[in-house]
Amino acid sequence: MSVDMTVDLAGLQLRNPVMPASGCFGYGREYGEYYSLDELGAVVVKATTRYPRLGNPTPRVTEVAGGMLNAIGLANPGLDEVLAEELPWLSRQNVPIFVNVAGDTVDDYCQVVDRICRSGLAQAIELNVSCPNVKLGGLAFGVDATILRELVQEVRKVCSLPLYVKLSPNVTRVQDLAIAAASGGADGLSLINTLIGMQIDLTKRKPILANKTGGLSGRSIKPVAVRMVYEVAQEVDLPIIGMGGVYSGRDAAEFIMAGAWAVEVGTANFTDPYACPRIIGELRSFMEEEGIKSLEEIRGCAL
Amino acid sequence: MLVKENKQLTRDILALTLTGAFSYEQATPGQFVNVLIGDGAAHPLRRPISIASANLQEETLSLVYRVVGEGTKWLSERSRGDLIDVFGPLGKGFGAPLEPGKVLIVGGGVGIPPLYQLAKELARQGFKSDIILGFKNQRDVFWTGEFAEFGDVTVCTEDGSTGEKGFVTEVIDMNEDWTTLYSCGPKAMLKALRTHFEGRDIKGYVSLEERMACGVGACWGCTCLDPNGTVAKRICKEGPVFPWEEVSL
Repeated sequence: MSVDMTVDLAGLQLRNPVMPASGCFGYGREYGEYYSLDELGAVVVKATTRYPRLGNPTPRVTEVAGGMLNAIGLANPGLDEVLAEELPWLSRQNVPIFVNVAGDTVDDYCQVVDRICRSGLAQAIELNVSCPNVKLGGLAFGVDATILRELVQEVRKVCSLPLYVKLSPNVTRVQDLAIAAASGGADGLSLINTLIGMQIDLTKRKPILANKTGGLSGRSIKPVAVRMVYEVAQEVDLPIIGMGGVYSGRDAAEFIMAGAWAVEVGTANFTDPYACPRIIGELRSFMEEEGIKSLEEIRGCAL
Repeated sequence: MLVKENKQLTRDILALTLTGAFSYEQATPGQFVNVLIGDGAAHPLRRPISIASANLQEETLSLVYRVVGEGTKWLSERSRGDLIDVFGPLGKGFGAPLEPGKVLIVGGGVGIPPLYQLAKELARQGFKSDIILGFKNQRDVFWTGEFAEFGDVTVCTEDGSTGEKGFVTEVIDMNEDWTTLYSCGPKAMLKALRTHFEGRDIKGYVSLEERMACGVGACWGCTCLDPNGTVAKRICKEGPVFPWEEVSL
């Protein structure tokens, strides 16, 4: 049986619904040494800011049961270098590019989005309003529905590409933020970003991460992520990219049944450097075994 | 890869010998591998462990590690015949000496193993090495005999229970002239070494460690800074070995 894994994300055609998540895949070069990036549905690159950022002090990462905490702090080479060095290379790899954009002010976001759209080097924007690891870094935008709507409205004016807004789980009702992003003009939603966590070093009697808190990701957050995708899918009629603990084709199918159109894979890349192509193969096998001809057939079927 | 041997070297340091498919010929001294703990379900982050030796003829990979947490404890419980998922070699190792002459190799504690393959290679290439191995005390000493095959070994312990008493910087004979210094160990030791040799015409290399996630340069979890504090470098990708003038210690 041939299965159709293609997905139409707000006018952007993907060959399959699996893409590495922002921050877990650099700008593609590193994992590109291990497999061909054109196997992927898309690549979501590291959060890019207007100016270079060194990020937080180390330690920035630590393992917890079934997951990890990170507090990288949006380290990135800045917009100029991303446009000059990173995106030109990635744009030759025959894979759609989502550029994740972070900022401290509305103007920061607009400047970065505007120049990325005009560069012709990307196919979509993912607005990062949910980084928990920097003081400004957009999180303020991600937890207040009014502020979020205003930001998305302003970015929308300069954004000629499909605009995805990546939502934070660190809110009381994620649906309210989803609705705000939709009313501001978003084309789609990505969820979830990491949950804020902490781990204490029992010898030093202090938090392990230099930043003290960090974003929890990995298998342990999957039920939270699936629940939030489900809740948002019930209330907002926009394509959803689901993420949070996607480790297998079955995990991807679970998100799709909860209402996601595609999935991002984050922490799994660290456990298995070949996680993304493996998950694509497993999802195909799952569809074949279950007699599912297209993703549309199961999308949101659990709702 | 298949476990051939997992041998206790000291109370908390073990030498794991693996065999099977691996790019032995690509591994250079100072590089590391990323080891999966169990099936990765409980432990999503692989453990970066430096390569003590990669032997193409024997098809063996040797990793020496200290048991510090749950992951390395799991590793210490593997025995002959068990399979372990090893990803690598990764990172950038030690550069070759740029000029003929004597080299100095300085290792501290569990920082010693990555210098083994280096000492062996340098000896094979005809370089004379002075090797200084520092430990906390007698109970922590390992591989001093192994290193003796490749150069003149000086052992020191902090409490003097074996070898000379003191830190590595206290036992270095500064009347000697070395072209290159290779070091791996605690950051305080690396920093002290660099200060000790300030103003001397010597090329220095330091191997750094940090908590890592991806191990391939994609996540920016394990960065260090240049001496000006303005440029970030990834320890897993641009390192773990750096010319010592290029990093802030």
